[in-house]
Amino acid sequence: MPDTILGIHDLSKVFSLGRQRVHAVRGFSADIHRGECLAIVGESGSGKSTIANMILGVHRPSGGRILFDGVEMPGRRSLRHRRMIQLVQQNPLSSLNPRRSVGASLRLALDVHRIGDRAGRAGRVAELLDEVGLPRQYSSRFPAALSGGERQRVAIARALACQSELVVLDEPTSALDVIVQARILRLLNDLRASRGLTYVFISHDLAVVCNIADRVAVLRNGRLLELQDTGNVFARPGHPYTRSLIAASPVITPDEIALRETMREGEA
Amino acid sequence: MNTDTLNVRNLRLGFRDHVSETQILHGISLRIAPEERVGLVGESGSGKSVTARAILGLVQMLRSARLSGDIEFEGRKLAELSPGRWQELLGTRMSMIFQDPTSSLNPVFRIGRQFHEVLRRAHPDIGFADSCSRANSMLSRVSITDPDRILHSFPFQLSGGMNQRVMIAMALANEPALLIADEPGTALDVTVQDQSLKLMHKLVGERRTSVLFISHNLGVVREFTERIYVIYRGRIVEEGPTSDIFREPRHAYTRALMAAVPRITRQGIPEIEDDHGEFLAPCEVHSPAGAA
Repeated sequence: MPDTILGIHDLSKVFSLGRQRVHAVRGFSADIHRGECLAIVGESGSGKSTIANMILGVHRPSGGRILFDGVEMPGRRSLRHRRMIQLVQQNPLSSLNPRRSVGASLRLALDVHRIGDRAGRAGRVAELLDEVGLPRQYSSRFPAALSGGERQRVAIARALACQSELVVLDEPTSALDVIVQARILRLLNDLRASRGLTYVFISHDLAVVCNIADRVAVLRNGRLLELQDTGNVFARPGHPYTRSLIAASPVITPDEIALRETMREGEA
Repeated sequence: MNTDTLNVRNLRLGFRDHVSETQILHGISLRIAPEERVGLVGESGSGKSVTARAILGLVQMLRSARLSGDIEFEGRKLAELSPGRWQELLGTRMSMIFQDPTSSLNPVFRIGRQFHEVLRRAHPDIGFADSCSRANSMLSRVSITDPDRILHSFPFQLSGGMNQRVMIAMALANEPALLIADEPGTALDVTVQDQSLKLMHKLVGERRTSVLFISHNLGVVREFTERIYVIYRGRIVEEGPTSDIFREPRHAYTRALMAAVPRITRQGIPEIEDDHGEFLAPCEVHSPAGAA
């Protein structure tokens, strides 16, 4: 029996836009196991970011429950609740304060959550930079002076600052080049192993997902179509829509082309 | 032998500020034959987009830009044309598709009006009714089933995929000799991107348009182009037929680039070494089979 860190039960979200009601998420359920990487994939508008926002407490669910270690998370989160789940966003340039140095951004996270004593926090900042593979002197730099990959490392360091076990990664590499992307994915994998982290990995890129996730949830129009081990999803997709997503992925090797062909045949 | 649609020779570009000059392109040479689809591949900051902007003559408008080298379009040196003549080529003989379709269309005009403006560049006397019927047939070529509704819509009323098709139809409406596509569809979902690239492929094939396809997405480039140039830090590091380069990448940078692409066959995440020394090695040229 796997150890569930986050239980999501029949989660739904309805947005009201004037008279119109938009069902962004309809009855999403999933148990996220401690130490796993669960990917949520889907096209834009499928509701994947809305689910992330409900997990984080940014949006209040319209229905359903979220249990962290078996305890229900309230709609309005206290500081203690917010500390339990951290976020890394897609675009680090907009998620980091441009007027605050790297060191100050990390320090702020430690200060807000009162991690360690005041004297020890400067040392913690340096350790966090070590952990994400940035030189310690970057502490005094500003986001504008960093490359996209370096900024994303800072965003990851900040998410690690409060030592939460669960990190929501919302398209963490889609703004990056393939080479930088490979390095960031490696870093995320290493950190998961060394710190025993659990990831909810939101993405539309199946090629990335299949190399980092243990299980994949496929979402369309706010509905969960399938939730399976990653290997199964790519070998025997349970839903025609998943098949069409794989068939549309850009590929470069003969093996991949062959796999995609089988998906296209299945489609026809 | 036919004149190349585009022939860029030893293009160098630097930007000067009050203290120093930063060299961006270190002698780019590339050529595109008529009807050829050529890819320009590299990471962000490598100089792909600025090369496209230099070909369109947009970089030259910046006072800080220092440009040298030749750009020849259909046998004419662009630098020798008057700015007015160069301008006339844009949108008529040369056109461009940008990354994000929704932000490259004007939000305050209906699609029909914008189409009229595009067609008027090539046919100054064309009336609105005529341009609408031309636009109508172009839109149906990109598999839009209700072109009239689209022509009456504003860009923000349409989905990203629909706007992308509108962009493709507009870019090809004047039957340009060269289409420059800068990261087309990167902002779209994979399924929508896949569809719109297929439509673009079909259309440029029918109209015999040459294409310069700029992208960092190797999978897309592999499907769309016949020949590619790999660019790294303002230098071409490898060129050759697309199938040869994918089969046997020779340059260290090309190999690193290909290794970094995540595979849907679950090969894991590769270890990428940082080796600028090797990455800056001289250009590898795959000679095309039966080259003239």
